[in-house]
Amino acid sequence: MKSISKLIRRFVGIMMLSIIFLVIINVTFYAIVFVKNTPAFSPWDMAQQTADALQLTDTGFFLPDDIAAKLKEQNVWAVLIDDDTRKVTWQTNNVPDNIPMRYTLSDIANLTRGYVDGYPTFTGESPNGLLVLGYPKDSFWKHTRASWDYDFIANLPKNIIIILAVNTVLIFLIYAAANSKLLHSIKPITNGIQNLSSGSPVCIKEKGVLTELAEKINKTSEILQKQAEQLRKKETARANWIAGVSHDVRTPLSMVMSYAEQLENSKNLSEIQRKKAAAIVKQSKRMKDLINDLNLASKLEYDMQPLTLKQENAISIVRQVIVDFMNMEIDDSFPIEWKAADTLSVCYINADTDLLKRAISNLIQNSINHNENGCVIYASVDEDNYTCRICIEDNGIGASDEQIDILNNTPHYMICDTNTSEQRHGLGLLIVKQIINGHNGKVIIDHSEYGGFKVMLIIPRQSTT
Amino acid sequence: MNDEYLLNKRILLVDDEPELLNIVFSVLTEYGFQNVKTAKSVKEALEEAEKFRPELAILDVMLPDGNGFDLMEQLKKNGSYPVLFLTARGEDDDKFKGFGLGADDYMIKPFSSKELLFRVMAILRRCYKDENPLVQLHNSRIDFSRAEVLKNGEHIPLTAKEHDLLSVLYRNAGRIVTIDALCEAAWGDNPFGYENSLMAHIRRIREKIELNPSQPVSLVTIKGLGYKLIVEGK
Repeated sequence: MKSISKLIRRFVGIMMLSIIFLVIINVTFYAIVFVKNTPAFSPWDMAQQTADALQLTDTGFFLPDDIAAKLKEQNVWAVLIDDDTRKVTWQTNNVPDNIPMRYTLSDIANLTRGYVDGYPTFTGESPNGLLVLGYPKDSFWKHTRASWDYDFIANLPKNIIIILAVNTVLIFLIYAAANSKLLHSIKPITNGIQNLSSGSPVCIKEKGVLTELAEKINKTSEILQKQAEQLRKKETARANWIAGVSHDVRTPLSMVMSYAEQLENSKNLSEIQRKKAAAIVKQSKRMKDLINDLNLASKLEYDMQPLTLKQENAISIVRQVIVDFMNMEIDDSFPIEWKAADTLSVCYINADTDLLKRAISNLIQNSINHNENGCVIYASVDEDNYTCRICIEDNGIGASDEQIDILNNTPHYMICDTNTSEQRHGLGLLIVKQIINGHNGKVIIDHSEYGGFKVMLIIPRQSTT
Repeated sequence: MNDEYLLNKRILLVDDEPELLNIVFSVLTEYGFQNVKTAKSVKEALEEAEKFRPELAILDVMLPDGNGFDLMEQLKKNGSYPVLFLTARGEDDDKFKGFGLGADDYMIKPFSSKELLFRVMAILRRCYKDENPLVQLHNSRIDFSRAEVLKNGEHIPLTAKEHDLLSVLYRNAGRIVTIDALCEAAWGDNPFGYENSLMAHIRRIREKIELNPSQPVSLVTIKGLGYKLIVEGK
């Protein structure tokens, strides 16, 4: 939608600039033409100059040569009419034959504002009478009849501006009317393109000037929707398949585990046999964890396990997970130490308690699984202004820089889009990452200051209750 | 903690897999349960329940002639007793459905015998209280019915909060109870910020149950995490 208004703004801008440019061009052009067509010397001035120059001498009237030459050059004739007798008392040589030699008062009034026999005439006042210059026929327009209302001329500048403004508005309206159809067709198309990018289905009416484009967009949307639907079906089928297999494996595994547990505790068996049974129990538990992990990982990956986020106290959650582990009394070789500051008793986050507990359990279980000879596990929670940091680390065998780099930066084989036979790490950490991503947080894997492995979960904090 | 009386409770096991039925049966009987009956279908379970009058039912969800959820509803019509689901259906929806219908616990296969026993005992303890709740500690004895402690022949009364806290600790005897769980037991749903009050109550409880409160042997602190009540004979 932004692009449409931008487009309209740009079109209108260009149009306004064009109008201003045309006005300037026109005004300049007419100004030049006007200046070029205005005689350098006004015929009224010429008449007055001639009247002033004409002198009455003892021998008669005398016109200086330079004035006479100017008149001749322009093919202008001149007569002097006496004030009292209204007879021509002096004339130039080139006065046409049909020019009267005697004038009435009305003749004088006529020649002053108009013509004498088609010759445009101009008058100048001389002490000896009225000097009349006759210019060649068709050399000047004399607006003998034209006259304007006073206000019309006085308001001319204002009127010109109003006319220009009205013209501009009219042009704009014509433009808008002409283009509204085009803009009307563009709007649904831009909306459609925006919806396409957000993945929603698009159906644009296929009419107007851009019908072809609308057809193509509708078709693209159809293809995208079909592909998305197929992908969804595929993902659901995959997650359901994993869930189905997990379900089918659970009952037989229950029997394996339970019988092995009975054998492990049987007093009738030898120590070696009991150890073998214990190994079966241990491996069955691993299989059980794997099934659960696989199921959860696939569900989180395909968004089939929506997170229910609520305001929770992170410290309380971490404390409960640790206590659950300690209460299980799995092995004395894995003591867990609480390292959070005593002063920090509440750190609110938006969390899905069950899944966050699962993530923290996975990290503690990882420390146990990867340190056969035992290790101390350290758990802590701290906070800054914006985040809550949950840290699970150990003093066990740890990992190399290279391994840590892989864990931090390489996608897990389960969500890797290239073929790979390399199983970089178990599902435990993948699930942790998926869960923390769902909490808008991040997971940082590093060396621990205690010498082993460290995983920090950073989750946005909620400021108050 | 004396749980002997719970071993007399009647338990009904329902699963269509005979092998698994045998396993759970032997796990329970080897632990000491004397009254355990099994059934392989909904029909069998209803008949057995009629005669046996169980006090706990352990049900599978998928049965040949129906499902465990419907079975639970029918069983509960004839008697109010706890139900634990033991099933391979690990979906959250199934779990929620089970709990929604009134199940007391939900375990997903495969399970460890130890965990099953622990959960069964926890349900029984919750539902069938000891008629004589006298708890023997190292240096004293708690009488929950009278809300008092007997130490060196002296009867020391417990306050309501001390009673609540000791009850939670006793129900989880031998296990750590988090600071948050204790605060919740004493102060309800929004228990954060009561840690100092909790410490004060724990100190007073120790003065009542311990010989030397500064070196406790029955109510021990697990630094930063919680407390653990150690009961004699447990």
